Amino acid sequence: MISEASVVIIGGGIIGTSIAFNLAKFGVKNVSVFEKSYISSGSTGRCGGGIRQQWTSPMNVRLAMRSVELFERFKSDVGMDIEYIEGGYLLLAYTDKEIEEFKRNVKMQREEGLNVELLTNRQIAKKFPFMNLEGVKGGTWCPTDGHANPQIANIAYAMAIKRMGVELNTHTSVESIDTQNGKIIGVQTSKGYVKTNVVVNAAGGFSHEIGLMAGVDIPTYSERHQILVTESVNHILDPMVISFQNNYYVRQTMHGSFVMGQSDKNPAKGNDLGHTVEFLEEMAPKMVHDFPFMKHLHIVRQWSGAYNVSPDAQPIIDEARNVSRYIFAVGFSGHGFMLAPAVGEAVAEMIVYGRSKTMNISNLGISRFENKIEKEHNVV
Amino acid sequence: MKSYETVVIGGGPAGMVGAITLGSKGVKNLLLDENDTLGGQLVKQTHKFFGDHAHYASVRGFEIAQKLQKKISQNSNIKVETSATVIGIYPNKTIVYAKNGKEFKVTYEKLLITTGAMEKQLPFINSDLPGVYGAGAVQTLMNEYGVIPGKRFLIIGSGNIGLILAYQLIQAGVEVRGIVEAIGKIGGYAVHAKKIKRLGVPILLNHTIVKAIGDESVSGAVIAKIDDKFKPIPGTEEEKVVDTICVSVGLTPLSELAEQAGCEVEYIPQLGGYVPVRNEKMQTTNPDVFIAGDLSSIEEATTAMIEGKIAALEIARILNGANIENEINEEIKTLSLFRSGPKSAKIRAGLEKFGISIEAVPNVESHGVQIGPVGKLRAIVDCTEEIPCNSCEAVCPFEAIHIGENLNSTPVVDYDKCTGCATCVTACPGLAIHMLKEDVEKSKALVGIPYELLPLPEKGEKMWALNEDGNYVCDAIVKRVVKYPNKTNIVYIEIPIEFSRKVINVEFPKEESPFVCRCEEVTLSEIERAIDSGIVDFEELKRLTRVTMGPCGGKNCKLVVLGILSRKTGVPISKLSRGTSRPPVKPVEFSLFTKNGDPK
Ligand SMILES: Cc1cc2nc3c(=O)[nH]c(=O)nc-3n(C[C@H](O)[C@H](O)[C@H](O)COP(=O)(O)OP(=O)(O)OC[C@H]3O[C@@H](n4cnc5c(N)ncnc54)[C@H](O)[C@@H]3O)c2cc1C
Ligand SMILES: Cc1cc2nc3c(=O)[nH]c(=O)nc-3n(C[C@H](O)[C@H](O)[C@H](O)COP(=O)(O)OP(=O)(O)OC[C@H]3O[C@@H](n4cnc5c(N)ncnc54)[C@H](O)[C@@H]3O)c2cc1C
Repeated sequence: MISEASVVIIGGGIIGTSIAFNLAKFGVKNVSVFEKSYISSGSTGRCGGGIRQQWTSPMNVRLAMRSVELFERFKSDVGMDIEYIEGGYLLLAYTDKEIEEFKRNVKMQREEGLNVELLTNRQIAKKFPFMNLEGVKGGTWCPTDGHANPQIANIAYAMAIKRMGVELNTHTSVESIDTQNGKIIGVQTSKGYVKTNVVVNAAGGFSHEIGLMAGVDIPTYSERHQILVTESVNHILDPMVISFQNNYYVRQTMHGSFVMGQSDKNPAKGNDLGHTVEFLEEMAPKMVHDFPFMKHLHIVRQWSGAYNVSPDAQPIIDEARNVSRYIFAVGFSGHGFMLAPAVGEAVAEMIVYGRSKTMNISNLGISRFENKIEKEHNVV
Repeated sequence: MKSYETVVIGGGPAGMVGAITLGSKGVKNLLLDENDTLGGQLVKQTHKFFGDHAHYASVRGFEIAQKLQKKISQNSNIKVETSATVIGIYPNKTIVYAKNGKEFKVTYEKLLITTGAMEKQLPFINSDLPGVYGAGAVQTLMNEYGVIPGKRFLIIGSGNIGLILAYQLIQAGVEVRGIVEAIGKIGGYAVHAKKIKRLGVPILLNHTIVKAIGDESVSGAVIAKIDDKFKPIPGTEEEKVVDTICVSVGLTPLSELAEQAGCEVEYIPQLGGYVPVRNEKMQTTNPDVFIAGDLSSIEEATTAMIEGKIAALEIARILNGANIENEINEEIKTLSLFRSGPKSAKIRAGLEKFGISIEAVPNVESHGVQIGPVGKLRAIVDCTEEIPCNSCEAVCPFEAIHIGENLNSTPVVDYDKCTGCATCVTACPGLAIHMLKEDVEKSKALVGIPYELLPLPEKGEKMWALNEDGNYVCDAIVKRVVKYPNKTNIVYIEIPIEFSRKVINVEFPKEESPFVCRCEEVTLSEIERAIDSGIVDFEELKRLTRVTMGPCGGKNCKLVVLGILSRKTGVPISKLSRGTSRPPVKPVEFSLFTKNGDPK
């Protein structure tokens, strides 16, 4: 372990490793990443893998579109096949009100340059004849949305940054952050002390706690989301399908298994990673109803992970006001995986140039919570 | 025309023992067989036979034939005619046989027919293509003439014959791609099935062959799952690339000659098909004609020999008026005991139709596998199915293995008496016994595996240790190779102690990397490559390669993966993280959670 680092990144999830990757690409030396467990042990290794650009806030749309550009190049940029496929996203609408909302979203998304359209029930039925579309009024469809294997993506970044000279310390936790006169001077880890002036908080479900280590009160908390995977069968479903009304998302991986989840009614708070049978009992009937062929499909495993949530369900990417060069990229709710390539780039630019250049992410700053909160609607 | 007190037709174990018994009781007899050597089915059998030790159990089939041939040549009351094919039985007790292109006739006072059985056919599309064989034909080609008719085999039928054929084919160095079996359980003995499973041959239950593929000869086979009406289920077809298909779906008695000799014949499926009606002493409805062996019921060499003896003793009693009732009854008792186990239920049901009833022994003792005292060199006997065999008990020099009077009972080991001499390991016809000694301090285990393949590994050689399904478990070092005259040699290997209960076979490392995780088809080399690239955490390894992530949840391979990690990183398995267990423990359908069964 090096005793002095130019940048210390706390968290070896998709966000932390993506930031390190982009720093290394800029040629920054002596970057050190600390991960208290193994790579992909956090939310990243537990996530659904969906990559979507159809958001309700222009900022999210833009960031996701930039990420898709980077996902398309991921294999050559980072050096590993992450089962990335642009199979599209289908969002289902059940009420006139939902249709109206979807129309507005499509208009805004198209203005941002996204190829997205509104589909009727019949158009959906034609595309996906195996679905039971009872009650569905229509939906939105973006063919360049898609999905990938988040665990392999996380490991791919980890292997790439090691090759590029970043120091990656797994099974090493950061225990405290040393500051002096509003400046960082080092971090204490379970394996020793590292001097540094720059710290990035990419600690996912633990972002609030890591904030407090430097005296920064980041308004994030964590809650548990459950998810399951089935046996693998012949390929039938290209897109991720989301029903906000029925409260689910589902996709079929390249490997043939179906991955799906919902938002529990009263999700466990914090980083509780347990599982409940109610989750299966709630998922089964609605999935069998909407996808009748799933009746005899076997569930192979269920698990859970943390959504790290901000007051408006959108990420907070900023530098602390009271501690200089204390940067955080946190609060990604259920969409941190898909944003990671663009966020990594933006945060690396913040560190190197003092601000992000490629994307203007100024409205993801922490100060926005001083004003009225505009919540992202399209979340499961 | 020459006349004999008795003529025996068929020189298999039943006929040979019949002739020997007749001779020993002073009955002059002629033994006729169509082959150029005596022995019947035995000649083709290179494996050690099951059965009663007093009846040549644990001796290889062809060696039993040799022993019987010797006895016959020493008995001056027996005249043997080989290459003599009986073509018919005519009025006035006249037997006509062909030999060297000439016709011969003989007459008899009493006739013992022991013509055995022939293989049943199975109709499927293209079953007439060259490359489709009966199992017996393959055995004859391979074991008598040293010709192997293919390189990649598919076997139809999981009875003992199919299982044994698979084993013999592997011994001969060719590949067996699988055994398909129509019903939902393996037909033959569990020990035979295990023997080939640990060599990696899959046995596909509820499957059948749909058709053979090929233009001039077999180049593949289409198999499919079948429903409970034995109909192939559409969509489950699967193609196997093979060049030979062996059909082994059972034998049926050769009863024509018995019919011609005036015996009534009845169709009794439990006994194998059309069989001559007979009494307990093997006498048919024609009082001058007796039968024995597979002709009377498709069974075993041991029962064939006992029946041959009973028939011969009864003939001798009638002809000479010898007072041998007791001797006959003893043999009948032995036979009944042999047939009293659960595996003989079918035979008992069949014999019932002749009014011959045999009591099933309800309390045949069956025991689980005993592990014995850890640390001591000892025999581990994995023989939990009640089959009529007692070789291990009979050969143990220290009386450490107990089966008891009923040889259908499963063996019990007295570990105070077991010295680790391994005599039982080489004697067991099912290769169901291996040696084990753990060294807790060094975290190693020594496993002694019965090995009948060539070449033999050498001391110091690196091998792959395999589990009961023939899957790679860990690397092993050969510590010792002990050769035995009966050719069941023992290879002692050293493995990490964690795998002492898993390893049951060894093989030479192959060029192709073995599958560690069958569900996700992850190979050893993929795992080693991932570890070499710096992925030394089980959790990361799992996510990157999918190993242990399939439907079995890693039940079969997690420990193997941890073993590989431990070997490559030097971290003991106990110190490695092993992941979290998540429900469901077994895959379940979504529909399960749509139907709650709890009382409201
Ligand atoms: C069930 C579920 C489904 C999801 N589905 C999707 C989806 O379809 N699409 C999508 O884009 N997103 C999805 N997400 C969200 C996504 O997983 C997260 O937003 C994303 O993984 C966050 O990445 P991260 O690197 O910030 O966090 P993490 O992956 O959690 O990484 C943070 C890391 O920090 C480490 N850490 C914490 N404290 C310390 C410390 N003191 N010292 C050292 N290390 C520390 C943790 O061990 C952890 O590995 C889903 C999430 C869940 C739970
Ligand atoms: C692959 C295989 C494995 C086996 N394994 C075992 C085992 O482990 N233990 C065990 O106990 N049993 C085993 N058996 C069964 C055993 O081999 C038979 O039950 C036994 O050989 C039957 O003896 P048999 O004398 O009735 O008939 P066979 O051995 O079949 O002998 C009949 C003889 O009659 C001859 N014959 C037929 N018709 C005529 C004719 N018209 N003219 C002249 N000759 C004729 C035949 O050519 C043959 O030589 C096995 C059998 C097979 C096929």
